[in-house]
Amino acid sequence: MSATPATDFLRSIGEYPMRQQDLEDRFYGKRLIYVSWENHLMYAAPFCLPLPPTLPFGALVRDVLPELYGEHPEFEAIDWQRTQWFNGGKRFLPDFGKSIEHHGLVHKSLIRLRTPKLEGSRETDSQGRQKF
Amino acid sequence: MDAKVTKKKLGLKERYAAMTRGLHWETTYQPMDKVFPFDKYEGIVIHDWDKWEDPFRLTMDAYWKYQGEKEKKLYAVIEAFAQNHGELGVTDARYINALKLFIQGVTPLEYYAHRGFAHLARQFGGDGLRLACLYQSADELRHQQTETHAMSVYNKYFHGMHESNHWFDNVWYLSVPKSFFEDAFSGGPFEFLTAVSFSFEYVLTNLLFVPFMSGAAHNGDMSTVTFGFSAQSDESRHMTLGIECIKFMLEQDPANVPIVQRWIDKWFWRGYRLLTLVAMMQDYMLPKRVMSWKEAWEMYAEANGGALFADLARYGIRLPKGWADACEGKHHISHQAWSTFYQYSQAAAFHTWLPSEDEIAWLSQKYPDSFDQHYRSRFEHWRALHKDGGRWYNNFLPMLCQTCQVPMLFTEPGDATQIAFRDTTYHGMKYHFCSDHCCEIFEHEPRKYAQAWLPVHQIYQGSCYPEDINPASPGDSPVREVLRYYGVDGGKDNGEFASSPDRKHFATWSGRTAGSTTMPTEPAK
Repeated sequence: MSATPATDFLRSIGEYPMRQQDLEDRFYGKRLIYVSWENHLMYAAPFCLPLPPTLPFGALVRDVLPELYGEHPEFEAIDWQRTQWFNGGKRFLPDFGKSIEHHGLVHKSLIRLRTPKLEGSRETDSQGRQKF
Repeated sequence: MDAKVTKKKLGLKERYAAMTRGLHWETTYQPMDKVFPFDKYEGIVIHDWDKWEDPFRLTMDAYWKYQGEKEKKLYAVIEAFAQNHGELGVTDARYINALKLFIQGVTPLEYYAHRGFAHLARQFGGDGLRLACLYQSADELRHQQTETHAMSVYNKYFHGMHESNHWFDNVWYLSVPKSFFEDAFSGGPFEFLTAVSFSFEYVLTNLLFVPFMSGAAHNGDMSTVTFGFSAQSDESRHMTLGIECIKFMLEQDPANVPIVQRWIDKWFWRGYRLLTLVAMMQDYMLPKRVMSWKEAWEMYAEANGGALFADLARYGIRLPKGWADACEGKHHISHQAWSTFYQYSQAAAFHTWLPSEDEIAWLSQKYPDSFDQHYRSRFEHWRALHKDGGRWYNNFLPMLCQTCQVPMLFTEPGDATQIAFRDTTYHGMKYHFCSDHCCEIFEHEPRKYAQAWLPVHQIYQGSCYPEDINPASPGDSPVREVLRYYGVDGGKDNGEFASSPDRKHFATWSGRTAGSTTMPTEPAK
């Protein structure tokens, strides 16, 4: 077991072993990837998906994202060439032929995608109401 | 052995002393620290337990007498309510979903509180505090029982209540209250007191009690109202204990102040996040509204809570860290939460619906700075789908906050267009949070929260499937299998209210229709 970091202020009356509940090897060969289509708040929260690390990035875009977000009125209009991708806060340029693992998307990474000109809640309708 | 009574009966004061403090003794075979091993390790220093002021002078026999009398009245009302089919007298069947949320998410907390206070009643070194905790432990058990009995009449006629204990242990949104209490009672006894007696019972309790109990009164639910009255005198005792315990800790030693402050910061925020469910209930689930969440927050938190913390300033205690963010959230959280339950209703254990035109107008009026600007268009989009005979559900599982376990639905303070993300890395693994405060709670005690049982992750680990399912390949609809494991009957226990058997039965039995008229009456495809 690795040492408890000095920043852990937890107090206990006895042994308190470090146990991580969500280690990658508990997900049957998959890893958790979170996906957030930024500012599209019709979807209450980002998604949590178990994905094979070998899944090509292109398959994520072609097969997975339409399942997640296909019912949004803006989804059809997405220009995938102009879409901006972030691993957490860090921008990256995807290679659709290479795996999610290749892109540095480790277990529990958060993919955020921004779709220029389709900015959901950043835009307002004719009555000044935030879109979704 | 019975002694011959020679003296007159004891006076009230003597009797109290004899029957409470008089029952304590200093141990001799074992050191006191070994007998009470829990009351020092948190770092709270107590110099003199005798300085504990009993907030209520109650002896055990008096306690049983009062509670017994209240119980008789309560059960007479519950019985009459059942005999007269009081369940058909409520405003409309949508209201019953607020009760489902209560029996699923609040009643089990009463039982947890009972267990927590029973532990404290054994573990504190001071007899006065132990006794106060013993009363509260008995109160909480009583509340768990009487709530169950008060609502059992509804369970005979409506769906969504029948497996509430199993749901509490497994279902995603119920892990929010469950993890809150497990966090509290796996802390030390003083932290538990700060969490439950002070932060929850004293600072936030009105925000829980008013919506449910006044909500019951406004919506014709005399059974729940009577429970509320029966619990009220207990609640005021609990609140008194909350403030007394904080003052006692702060007065005993200056070293206690920063520890208590950190607990107040943490438990205010944990409690506030938990109340998201109540905010939603208050604004969206009561056919006849009491007041908006925002109004309740302004009255009970901003005004009353503000005065409380001004008073505690003399001990060196300031407002909880998350205070400003919580106050800003009053414009948003109920709408964000109802949007979430609306779209995930097929994975919950109660019904949801879109607010009617009148209700939209009410929301717009009560939330002049947020509802129309930020939330109205998504509801109108969903309404347009309803008119075409569709009903939108979100079929993929959400990302959860590691600390509060609420789906990551909260927006940045000051920017309702952007989901708030925070993260940290611990032992090589990423952890994600809904807010600075949930992140900070994790970072202070990462070993505790790294083991959180997040329902979404547990589903993917295979912990929530029936035995005939292979978790590595759960088939075409994992959610269906999970619901089977939960014992949730899809469409009956959950989903759209308009097409629910509850709505139909209520209309047939009461002769009154319920709910808004723009809903589809058939299940969505």
